[in-house]
Amino acid sequence: MKVHPARELAVALLLAALGALASGCAATAVKPWDRDLLAQKKMQFAPSPLQYSIDQHTYFSREGSTGGLNVGGGGCGCN
Amino acid sequence: MAFLLPAGAIRPPRHRGRLARLAVALIPALVAALGALSLAGPAFAKTPPATGRKAPHFALPTAHGTVDSDSLRGRIVYVDFWASWCDPCRRSFPWMADLHQRLGRHGLTIVAINLDKDRKAAEKFLAEHPAPFTVAFDPEGKTAEAFQVPAMPTSFVLGRSGEILHAQAGFDPARTAALDALLKEACSR
Amino acid sequence: MQLNAPVRPAASRSRLGAAACALIASAATAVARADGGATTQLEAATLIYGEQNRTDVVEPLLRITRVRPGGQSLSAQIGLDVITGASPTGASPSGKVQTTTTPSGNVETTSASEIPTTSFEDIRGSLDLDWTRPLGALVSPALGMHISREKDYQSLGANATLALSLLHRRTTLTFGGGLNRDRVFPIGGIVEGLTPVVATGGGGGEGVEAAEAEEAASTGVIAADKNVTSALVGVSQVVTRRWLVGLSASRTVEDGYLTEPYKVLSVLDIGGYPISSLHEKRPSSRKRTSLLASSVYHFGIDVLNASYRAYGDDWGVQSHTVELRLRHDLTGGDRWVEPHVRWYWQHAADFFRFSLNEGDPLPDFASSDARIGSIRTATLGAACGFRLGSYPGEFSVRAEYLAQWGDGHPADAVGVQRTLDLMPPVSTGSLMLGYSVGW
Repeated sequence: MKVHPARELAVALLLAALGALASGCAATAVKPWDRDLLAQKKMQFAPSPLQYSIDQHTYFSREGSTGGLNVGGGGCGCN
Repeated sequence: MAFLLPAGAIRPPRHRGRLARLAVALIPALVAALGALSLAGPAFAKTPPATGRKAPHFALPTAHGTVDSDSLRGRIVYVDFWASWCDPCRRSFPWMADLHQRLGRHGLTIVAINLDKDRKAAEKFLAEHPAPFTVAFDPEGKTAEAFQVPAMPTSFVLGRSGEILHAQAGFDPARTAALDALLKEACSR
Repeated sequence: MQLNAPVRPAASRSRLGAAACALIASAATAVARADGGATTQLEAATLIYGEQNRTDVVEPLLRITRVRPGGQSLSAQIGLDVITGASPTGASPSGKVQTTTTPSGNVETTSASEIPTTSFEDIRGSLDLDWTRPLGALVSPALGMHISREKDYQSLGANATLALSLLHRRTTLTFGGGLNRDRVFPIGGIVEGLTPVVATGGGGGEGVEAAEAEEAASTGVIAADKNVTSALVGVSQVVTRRWLVGLSASRTVEDGYLTEPYKVLSVLDIGGYPISSLHEKRPSSRKRTSLLASSVYHFGIDVLNASYRAYGDDWGVQSHTVELRLRHDLTGGDRWVEPHVRWYWQHAADFFRFSLNEGDPLPDFASSDARIGSIRTATLGAACGFRLGSYPGEFSVRAEYLAQWGDGHPADAVGVQRTLDLMPPVSTGSLMLGYSVGW
């Protein structure tokens, strides 16, 4: 009996994502001028691409998993 | 959930295919929903006050007093919403200083409204990017809310009777020619 | 009977999967922004890494990013990977103390429980290029390219990403795809899986015979290809002024030669003593799926970055990864510390086995590579960043301790192997020195 945790989680996490996204539509949603904290470099998923690259490389060479890549988003939302 | 069981534990058979298909079907549905939401009406996509409408009134503190929009009637007013953490704002300040130099005596008043929550951050920015024009402070964002600022930075050109002549979100130093021409033309009328 | 490890060097640590590399670059590009209005950013780092009794690595890297005011950016990253040390061959411990006399007359003793390793050295060079060109305020496509080369392996890849900003830029949707073509050309050529490894003794005559026998076993093929196709979809959402969450799913399909050319499995007799070795064999396709949920939360001074990744593939490998980083700025603002903890749990591939038994029918596939075994890894680390006086740029130092272990006493161990730890814990220490400057 093989269980694939990735597939099992797909539905649960998608529902969580929809919930989080719904929050973005609310009246209390973050205004463009309220992004002072989000604009800081440390508020990115991977603040240093170099360090991220080193980590991925180190773990890939000793473990059997890949993927789980961060995507863009957040930031100051300028221009 | 089954995956939390230690490896080797007996697990009942699962209908993997069904769940996988459901997940795959949800992704495009999610994308479509988000796409629709982004194009939706006023509830989600606020646009700045339409050109031609009267600009909201504002009275804000400056470094040496206050600035009241009523007292600016009769002048062309360039209102710029900025913050210290906004990268394009760094590039807009030298251009605005130059604008003040060229058109200040031809009827242009620049009011740069700062939206930093931390006054010290704004002052640090001003020390690095000198502003010979009026700088006002709106830390609670009430004036930004009234102007329905869609992104940082956003600027408005107000006519002599306080009507909005032009609104622009974002700043690109390579694309200031059109704005330069508009301001020059408004000041000469 | 005395058996030496195969003459070939063991699998190199740096065999980086194409998909991982290809899409990392593009995903990182999606957020590539120079700091504080700077148009050029330079980042340099060197990793010094040592596994206890195993591999040592020195890896310098350099990344340069140039951002134009319109948002267009180009970045180039070059890296060198110098790897030396010892790597497990995949063979089982011998179960008895062995003494060897080297040609120079020294006597070397191998303990009964020692996991057989073989030493190697290699240098790998890599180059990554990424280009982003925003179209208007809300759409941002990016293209990336990767190339890397070492003694016996080459990887070429290209990837594309598209990021869409929605809902007043609170939501970002990312779509990405990547293609990679890898080629492996191991020393001695591609050997048919699950065929015997011929023992190589000392002395000229035996060596020549062994080499000829090896060549006969070899398929006569010098190189083999591996194609990797990957797709990524992700969404990130600004939930509050302090909180950013992200969710991404990726699917990777690999086709071609996926076996580790240098790894072997021992064939054991009834007493559990290894009597010969077979080359390992893995399937020629692999379909991987992974889901990542991440969160970045700003507490006012500290920022907590937390993530969870679930992974599964059709080889039966499943894993869970939990990672936490807490960034703490020290008063004065110019210095910071960042403790880091990571926990990893992996379930073995279906065809993973420690060894084969003499007389049993051969399985379709078999591998004793710990990399696809049931392992756990725990990492504890701390980093700090600081400036030096009025010197431009920021320096950083990161120290990490990694412990990896597995169940080395499987229920189906045979004879003397029952008394041995087949997956002893491995400790690793690493130090990363970094420098970042913008102008």
